[in-house]
Parts: sequence; C-alpha cells; structure tokens
Amino acid sequence: MRVGEIVTLAADAAGTHAQRFRVAGIYEPVPDPMRLNSSKHEARVHLPDLLSLTANPADPLATETVDAVNIALGGSSDAEEFSRDLMARAPGLIAQPVRAAAYRTGPFLVLERFHLAIAIVTILASTVFLLALTVMLVDERRETVGVLRLIGLSASRLLLQVFAEGVIVASAGAAFGILLAIASQGLINVYFQWRYDTALVFVRITPGVVWRSIAIAVPLGVIGSVAASWVLLRRGVLSLARR
Amino acid sequence: MSALAFAWRGLVRQPARAGLGILGVAAVGALLFDMLLLSEGLVLSMRDLLERVGFDVRVRATMALPGSGPGIADAGRLTAAIAALPEVGEAVALGLGYAEIDRAGGRRPLAVDFVGADTSRRRVWTVTAGRDIADGHDARGGELLVNQNVASRLGATLGDVIQLRASCMHQTSALPQATFTLVGIAEFPFDTVRQMTAATTFADFGIACGAPGSADADMILVASAEGGDAETTRDAIARLRPDLNPMTNEQMVGLVQQSGLSYFRQISAVLMTVTMSFGMLLITVLLTVSVNQRLAEIAALRALGFSQRRVVLDVLCESALLVGLGGLLALPLGAALAVWLDGILKRMPGLPVKLHFFVFEPQALAIHVSLLVATAVIAALYPMWLVARLPIATTLRNEVIS
Repeated sequence: MRVGEIVTLAADAAGTHAQRFRVAGIYEPVPDPMRLNSSKHEARVHLPDLLSLTANPADPLATETVDAVNIALGGSSDAEEFSRDLMARAPGLIAQPVRAAAYRTGPFLVLERFHLAIAIVTILASTVFLLALTVMLVDERRETVGVLRLIGLSASRLLLQVFAEGVIVASAGAAFGILLAIASQGLINVYFQWRYDTALVFVRITPGVVWRSIAIAVPLGVIGSVAASWVLLRRGVLSLARR
Repeated sequence: MSALAFAWRGLVRQPARAGLGILGVAAVGALLFDMLLLSEGLVLSMRDLLERVGFDVRVRATMALPGSGPGIADAGRLTAAIAALPEVGEAVALGLGYAEIDRAGGRRPLAVDFVGADTSRRRVWTVTAGRDIADGHDARGGELLVNQNVASRLGATLGDVIQLRASCMHQTSALPQATFTLVGIAEFPFDTVRQMTAATTFADFGIACGAPGSADADMILVASAEGGDAETTRDAIARLRPDLNPMTNEQMVGLVQQSGLSYFRQISAVLMTVTMSFGMLLITVLLTVSVNQRLAEIAALRALGFSQRRVVLDVLCESALLVGLGGLLALPLGAALAVWLDGILKRMPGLPVKLHFFVFEPQALAIHVSLLVATAVIAALYPMWLVARLPIATTLRNEVIS
C-alpha cells in the first residue's frame, strides 16, 4: 500500500456500506502496553467517516455515539476533581484521569509484584552464596588473623578492617552490577522490541533503581563479611594460630 | 574409598560452608525449576481447560477470541448440519451475552455474563448443587444455572424464579424481561474470580435475546466422532462452511498465546539464562576457593599414590554432591515458590480461576535435572583443571616453607 492509493473499507466481510478512502500517510502506532501482542494492522480515518462506515442506519443515535472522549485540561486544573465533577453531572459516564488509569491498570501492577518477588528470591539466593563465600574466605585468612592478634592488634581493630574491606568489596560489586545492568538493558530492550514489534521500553535503569540496588547490595555485603569474620574473631588467639 | 564417598567426607568436614553452598544451589535451583514450570505452564493449563470440556474443535465466525467479534448467524441449523457430518460426534451451539438480573428491595440489577448452550453428553459446566438444565420451555419460562458468585450475591436458592433482561451479542438492547427458574449452581471452567455467570439452554437464550429459534451463536463446540481426530473434523467443517473459522484446541492455545501471554515464556527464558549463569558462576567460585584451600592436601594425596584422574574425579564428585543435594532441595522449595508466584500472577484481571501459570509436567523435571547436571559439570571444569595441573613437589615444598 502506498500514499495516495485508493482503498475500500467496510465494517464487515460482506462489504456492507463499503466506502473508498485515499491513503494520506503511513504512521507508527503509539506504543500501547495493553496491546503488546495484538495485531498491529490499523487504519485511521476521520471520526465522521468512521461513524458513517460503522453506524447502524436503524439507530438514529448511532452517528452520535463514540467509545470515549479524550479531554486535555487547561492550566492547573485537577484531573481527579474534574473527573469526579463530570461523573456527578452526567450519571452513567465514567471519567478517569489518565495517570490514575495507567497506574491502576491491573496487569502491570501484577507484573510489578511478580518481578519484585523474583528479585527477592534472587537476593536471598545471592545472600546465601555470599555467606558461603565469606565463610570460606575468612577461614582462609584464619592464620593471618591469628598472627595479627598475636602481634597485638585487637579484635575490634580487625573487625573494623573487615568492615572497611566489606564496604569496598560490596561497593565495587554493586557498581559492577549496575554497570552490567546498564549495559544489558539495551540488549534486553532491543530483543523485546524486536520480538513484539513495539517501541515500548521494557527495562529502564532509573536513578531510583540504582540507589535501591546500592541500598540492598552494600549493607548485605558488609553484613556478610562482618558476620563471617565475627565468628572467627571470637575464637582464642592460639586457636586461630593453630597452636 | 570411592570418589563420591571421599567427596562426601570433604563436604561433611566443613558443614557450614557445605550447608550454605547447598542452600544457595537450592535457591537458584528453585528459581530455575519455577521458570521451567512457567515457560509452558499457561499453555498446559489452557489446553487442560479446553480439553476438560470434552470438545476438540471450536467453530467461530472469525479469528477473534471468544466473547469478541461477530457471531454465527442461523446457528441452530448450522449446528445440526455440522452434527450430521460423519467426522463429528457431537455439536453444541454456544451463545454468549450479558444480562441484568432484577433484585428485590430496589437494589440495582446484578450484571451477569449470560451463556446459552444446548444440553449434551459433554457439559460446558460442572453442576455443584441442584440439577442441570433440561430441554423444554414451559409456561413458567426456562431453567437457569448460575455460578456461586451469582447465587451468593442474589441470596437465591434452588427453585427461585429469576427475572432477567438479556443483552446478547454485545449489542445494546431494551428487551423485555425473561423469566427463569433456578435449578442449579454450577462451575464454569473459564470463570474469573469475581465473574457472575448464568446459563440456560441455547433455545431459551434465543428467547431471552429476542430471537427465538434464530439466535446468533458465539461459537459452536464440536466433538469428533469416536476414533476421529480434531484436524480431520476441522477440515470437514471448513469444507462445509468455508466462510467460518473452525479451530482445534491446539490452534486455540496458539491464539491465546499470541494474544499477549507469550510474555511469560520470554521472561522465563531470560530469567532461566540469568539464573543458570549466576548459579554456574557461584558454584565455580565456591569450588575454586575450596580447591585452592586444599591444594596442599591434594598434592599430599597425589604423593601418596592417588592418580590425577582420581583427584579430578573427587572435585567433580564434590560439585555433583553440592549441585545434586541443592537440586533435590530445590524441588520442594520450587514447588512452594511456584504456589506463591502463581498466587501473585493469578491476580491479573480477566483470567479464569482454573488457569495456572506454573504447571508441573515430567518434561520440566527432566530438563531441570539435565540443566543441573550440565551446571555441575561446567562449574567443576576450572577447579578440575587446577587440580589436574597441580605440581606435586612444588606445592608440597611451598606448603612446608609456609
């Protein structure tokens, strides 16, 4: 189909009330998450043309009937208040602010909760592995710790060192994780945009996500290191030095 | 002592480290298992729902999903023609519409989904109380089945007379009230949690819709004749009425998948890859650190006469034990996690109550085991290489000096 071509449109397969239209242009549909997997075959015509194409001639109100009316409020008008006012004035109408409608859209809230649940399980698994690793690493340094204690370093001094180490390692790990996420978000978006033929963004690393990751990863890393070291530091100096 | 028993003793000697390692594998394995259940869960669940009704071909006017798109005109005669085909065992017309049931006390009428289906040997619903609707329409009106939600909201009991105003085939209407007698409460396989459903015979559905004997059907459910297959039946119907769209259950499942639920298959594939890589990396690190700590011990064993193959096998067995025990623990953990995640996803609006996202099938378990075996082997490759290349004399000398 090309711009300028004449096409015939009808509302049913039998071609009832078919009308001819000229293709004025070709457009990219606005990305709509609710129509992620549906067919992207769309045509736009002027509203009177659509009504004359689809309206039931036996129904005198058919040419005055639409599915929805989009309203842009001027200035600083409150969309919630306007919707409430409109519904009170015209019983039977449902008016909903766009932002609220988008937020309340069930599937996306459910998906958000699902992704959060997956994230919690992943964090739990990572914590267990982290603990296993720190237990091993601390055990590896058992003799070093014993020697340091023998030459006079206190347990609290060593714990402070472990804490500082934990902060550095956890921060480096968190930074690496965030960089990896930033690098992979493009790949994930490209894949899903190709798969669903859409311009929607599936993964977006926002500053909020970055700070939340840091707020979880760094304390977890530090707590893991300190907890594993604490068990070791509570032992006697001679036991640590294997004497 | 066998390599497996030796590796077991190695793990038991460090219970905290081994326990944490196994627990970590269990958590990763549980997520992996769940992603496997999710990847095919919806398809299996939808297929089960479709097959449970007992019909293997569904005839619709277009490719649109049930409840949308145009209806099938002159459905009664067409159903009879389809039923007369030698490939067909049974054909049942199904009408879908809406209705408002009057309520006492000046309360607003109750909006329900209104189903009309001929009674047959195969039931579109399961009666849980009372009896099924029967053919025939006497002076008191037709018979009606409702789901538990409608019965509770109406506070209705069996034998009550119910007045409803139907609105069929998605058109606005101002039809007169139709009178029905409530004869039973039923479960409808595709009902959502809060869905209100009422059902009657296709004939009474037509009467309520103001089209006695000529109501449009949303679809015609067809069961193949004894020994026949769905594809042959579908082709026979397509030859009879080329303008209609007969689909097998398998095609319906494909259509539902295309309509938006394939996201879960995609996300499960992504998460499965991430989980596998994550698990593999962590087990490799655990084994490598463990081997590095035991280099002197391994060198001593080599000096005592353990072959290179044997010490490499020990590391592999340790990996197998870690992954095997963790993988075993992952199954009940994954099952519990699947119930939780299924509960979250089932809150998605418009989904049938009986549809599940996580469905167990033996194939998923087989893939889970294969992936874990691959993880155990791949994760052990680097530490095995370290052990295989270990210089015995140098390692022992370094140990003595240190």
